[in-house]
Amino acid sequence: MVFAASFLEEDKKVTIWGIAFMLNNDIVYREVVKKFEGKKEQVVALKGVSFEIKQGELFCLLGPSGCGKTTLLRITAGLEKLTSGKILYRGKDITSIPPFRRNIGMVFQSFALYPHLSVFENVAYGLRVRKQPEEVIKRKVTAIMELVGLPDVLRRNPSPTALSGGQQQRIAIARALVYEPEILLLDEPLASLDAKLRRYMRAEIRRIQKATNITTVYVTHDQEEAMAIGDRLAIMNNGLVEQIGNSNQVYHQPTNVFVANFIGKMNFFPAELLEIQDNSYQVKLDYNQKILALNLPKEQIKTTELNKNHQIILGARPENMTIHLKDKESIFKGRVQIIQNLGKIVRYEISLLQEEKGKLIEVDTERDLPGVKEGEEVGLNFKGDKVIIFPGDITPEEGDRDGLD
Amino acid sequence: MALIEKIRNFIVEQTKKDYSIYLILLIPLIFLAIFLVWPLAISIGRAFVLKGQKLVLDNFTLANFERFFTSSMYQRSLRNSFVISFAVVFFTLLIGVPMGYFVARVEMPFKKLILVLGILPIITPAFVGAFSWVILLGRQGVLRYFINRVLSVFGLSLPPIYGLFGIIFTMSLTYLPFVFLLSYGAFRSSNPLLEESAMIMGATHNRILRTITIPLILPSLGAAAILVFIRSIGNFGIPAVLGGNQYVLPTLIHFRVHGFWDLNGASAIAIISVFIVIIALLIQKKIVSAREYETISTATSEYKLHKHPLIKTIAIIYCTLILLISLAPQITIIIMSFFEKWTGFLPTGFTLDNYKIIPQIASKTIKNSFFLAITASILTALIGTLAAYITERQRPRGGILIDFAIMTPFILPGIVVSVALLSAFSSDPINITGTFLIIIIAFIVRRTPYVFRSVVATLTQLDEALEESSTISGASWFYTFRRVTLPLILPGIISGTILTFATLLQELATTILLYSARTVTLPIQIYNTVAEGNFGIASSLSVLLMLTVFIMVYLMNLFFGDASSSSLKLG
Repeated sequence: MVFAASFLEEDKKVTIWGIAFMLNNDIVYREVVKKFEGKKEQVVALKGVSFEIKQGELFCLLGPSGCGKTTLLRITAGLEKLTSGKILYRGKDITSIPPFRRNIGMVFQSFALYPHLSVFENVAYGLRVRKQPEEVIKRKVTAIMELVGLPDVLRRNPSPTALSGGQQQRIAIARALVYEPEILLLDEPLASLDAKLRRYMRAEIRRIQKATNITTVYVTHDQEEAMAIGDRLAIMNNGLVEQIGNSNQVYHQPTNVFVANFIGKMNFFPAELLEIQDNSYQVKLDYNQKILALNLPKEQIKTTELNKNHQIILGARPENMTIHLKDKESIFKGRVQIIQNLGKIVRYEISLLQEEKGKLIEVDTERDLPGVKEGEEVGLNFKGDKVIIFPGDITPEEGDRDGLD
Repeated sequence: MALIEKIRNFIVEQTKKDYSIYLILLIPLIFLAIFLVWPLAISIGRAFVLKGQKLVLDNFTLANFERFFTSSMYQRSLRNSFVISFAVVFFTLLIGVPMGYFVARVEMPFKKLILVLGILPIITPAFVGAFSWVILLGRQGVLRYFINRVLSVFGLSLPPIYGLFGIIFTMSLTYLPFVFLLSYGAFRSSNPLLEESAMIMGATHNRILRTITIPLILPSLGAAAILVFIRSIGNFGIPAVLGGNQYVLPTLIHFRVHGFWDLNGASAIAIISVFIVIIALLIQKKIVSAREYETISTATSEYKLHKHPLIKTIAIIYCTLILLISLAPQITIIIMSFFEKWTGFLPTGFTLDNYKIIPQIASKTIKNSFFLAITASILTALIGTLAAYITERQRPRGGILIDFAIMTPFILPGIVVSVALLSAFSSDPINITGTFLIIIIAFIVRRTPYVFRSVVATLTQLDEALEESSTISGASWFYTFRRVTLPLILPGIISGTILTFATLLQELATTILLYSARTVTLPIQIYNTVAEGNFGIASSLSVLLMLTVFIMVYLMNLFFGDASSSSLKLG
């Protein structure tokens, strides 16, 4: 687009840039609502979702099961009809276009390879549908198999059922890409692989995606996978998008407590806002009525309603808290319950003492602390100004993260 | 402007849609409407009108049903049907469940052989079993002769097999394989970890059997019980051969139609028998549904087989004994087919004439049988597959109605289907009585559930993502069906069809009311030959029939293995 624009006269450049900017947004969701008619009640899977995905982007839809991410993907594919709202592709409304006319490639969680067709025929399927001549099919299949790193498999050309999980995965990707679709959709593509292969394949998927520069939507419930692979992520919960941003933004600048606790782990402390002055905030902790003076930069304030005597929530990542011996001055007092040495970090689970309501706090340190043992009393502090202020007084339940990773 | 735009969009949208599927949807729907729903409706209507009167509201009467209160013959038939069906369910469970347990859980030689031989009675026409028991235990039966010699020492004697006892005895042996196979499958497929964990918690063998094993296979037993019940109450051949003056509902219907051409009276009896089946179904549902469990864990391990010599000995003796008794008819028929008479200790008059005469007397009926069974099987495959695909994949509104309509014949005794078809199509404007067409239609209506179930089972196991993936890569519905769905469900279709063919070849209950001189089938001819008392020729014809069916089922198992077992349970 930049090239095209520079050949034009100066006054037309503005409009062309305008189009380029529009084209830059490949997929646009506008107020997408999806309701399923259940046997007894209506289930609202998507409650009005609006956002945009850029050309050539690897975009992750991330969220707990039942959040609507797979429904949104299937709506993008055309496999589900939406109840209301619109989907645009390059400015064109594709809401009512059936899936087989959308020119999309999709990789399913189960891979969905055809057991009755050979590997070659599996990959060639989309080309045969498009009635491509035999020599074109041969050339394209060979090329795509090379791209996914399986050029040798075609020599024996077995049934896909004879291959390993990782190879099946690559063939599923090859099959989805071979007819050069405009969008690639991946539905939990790594879920059926074992942990080690999963880490390897996610790098492979990113490599292939960048090599083809195809706009890609990637659904996963694994936050580590999403952060590792995605250019940007949309964190979904309960039929709504909670936050969109790159890995850095969603980890360090979560917009709400759900995102904060879904991407990694965060400790929450309800408090009352007493005083505001520029960047300094005076708060009173609900747990032990202690008054703290915090100096926080603007981007760490996630609420617009900053009034005196307002209820807020302080959030701190486990690595942004420190542990002290009990006689040292500290904000909280607690007892060490469990120490898990994970190699790269050491994770301490500490329960606040009875007068501080017994809440469990997680603290990560790089090395294990000498003299801190399970069952011992310790003190806790925030590390510097790495505390985030959220609105409201509801902290997510601990159970929310069960079984997510 | 906006309106024009809207209309334009609408037209564009409509032309983009894929309509080919809706046309194909109509085929099974129309067939069911004309040949199942309509005849049943007419038949129900006629049950409330006297013979020869018009089907209008003014002629409404309950007279056809009154016979159940006035005629002792009707009352006895009803009672017989009840007693026989419940007794057969009871005995098949009593004998079949231990056999299933032994073969599934005890270390035994020749397990494969036991399974194959155990299935044999299913593929033998029921009335053939009945008349071979006449040879063995009839008035001049060879076995009875022996038993009575022994019993006479004590001053006792065994009565001939005719009557209620004979019917229950033969039917139990005929339907035993259903219970045996279903309980064998259940004992094998339940998760051994559940029993092992009970054992670790200190439960004894008996306690585990009582509290874990039996409750978990109860749904399978329920399915087997209802299957046996439906078949017993609808069986025509066995009571026709062995009943003597003891009528049951199907023979009563036959008597009504054959003797008086009273379709209205027959319809009333048919309604009563269907009514009983429905009640039995509801009772079974109630008992089983409260005890149906979902499997929680997917982890399984292999069963450790019982190796105790005592248990082994008991199991081997038990299975051999049951197999010997239930295979006695087949053996008897084969021997009988080479002799003229078998009234004393040994059969007399060795001859091959029984076989040599077949081309002369049966070439037409064999041709008829094959023509009817092949035509009906192919059409059944087509309709059953389409209906299964529609209800399973397209899930249209009211799909449950198609499901219900197709499965209805499953609980309808064959003779009831015939009565319904005769009620609707035996008078102007459409009169197809005595034609091949009416038999083919009856066959299709009756067997569609088997193909339907077989294909639905294959489809539910087929990952829907396979088809979605094809759609996404740009294929139309028809292309996807042709290139992906059909090749993958073909084993299910073929095994369902072969089984349909094999069972249609031996069908008697449906054809007994529908055949004419032109359309006699092989089972009808065997039935009539038995009635004439010509056991030699009846035997050679039966051997021919059994052999054909056996070869078909054997080949199917050879080529399709597991795929056929699911439909076999239904067949």
